Amino acid sequence: MFLGRVVGEVWATRKVGDLAGKRLLVVQPLDDRREPGAPKVTPVVAADPLGADLGQRVIVAFGKAARVATLGMDGDFAFEAAIVGIVDELDAPLAPAHWNEEHDPVRGAP
Amino acid sequence: MLIGTVVGNVWATRKDPTLVGVRFLVVQPFTLDGKPSAETLVAADPLGAGIGERVLVVFGRAARHAIGKGHDVGFQCAVSAIVDKMELQDGRTIGQVAAQDEPAPARTA
Repeated sequence: MFLGRVVGEVWATRKVGDLAGKRLLVVQPLDDRREPGAPKVTPVVAADPLGADLGQRVIVAFGKAARVATLGMDGDFAFEAAIVGIVDELDAPLAPAHWNEEHDPVRGAP
Repeated sequence: MLIGTVVGNVWATRKDPTLVGVRFLVVQPFTLDGKPSAETLVAADPLGAGIGERVLVVFGRAARHAIGKGHDVGFQCAVSAIVDKMELQDGRTIGQVAAQDEPAPARTA
């Protein structure tokens, strides 16, 4: 699991059948490097059963946890990452400042 | 799951028998700053994605399910969707191929 920020939404028509009706959000890990020229962490696409908004910080889980959180059961489904929590408050005094911002000012509030 | 751009096709004759009949693509992960990611990955493709198309890549059980050849197979990474459109918080729209990308609309102060 990791903490990330919702930075986008994805739509697809041609897809494996059980992705139909799933809201798919793009989540950038909070521990993304901000230094100029630093390598970027690849954003993760996660199913969103909770209705997270752009800019919100979320908890993303993988594998069985993601399937159970999305569908209430494990099984053969074509996704393995899901938003399992929307962060209300985060107290991480040693983390970079942007972790503690409600909406990310660099990428703009939604 | 991640988004990537199809940058190549791979063929192999000598391979694990469970890979026979499975199409494999080389996919380069998408990054928010548009810089090419350092790594590429190989993904099985049940949908017929073409070079340059953005795809959704899944791993593990989801990938085996996407291909539908059971769970005792020699791959763990597959394409599960071909992206129509991705809207980003910074205002950009990412299309199915790079030519369809649209920059963020200019902000009025």
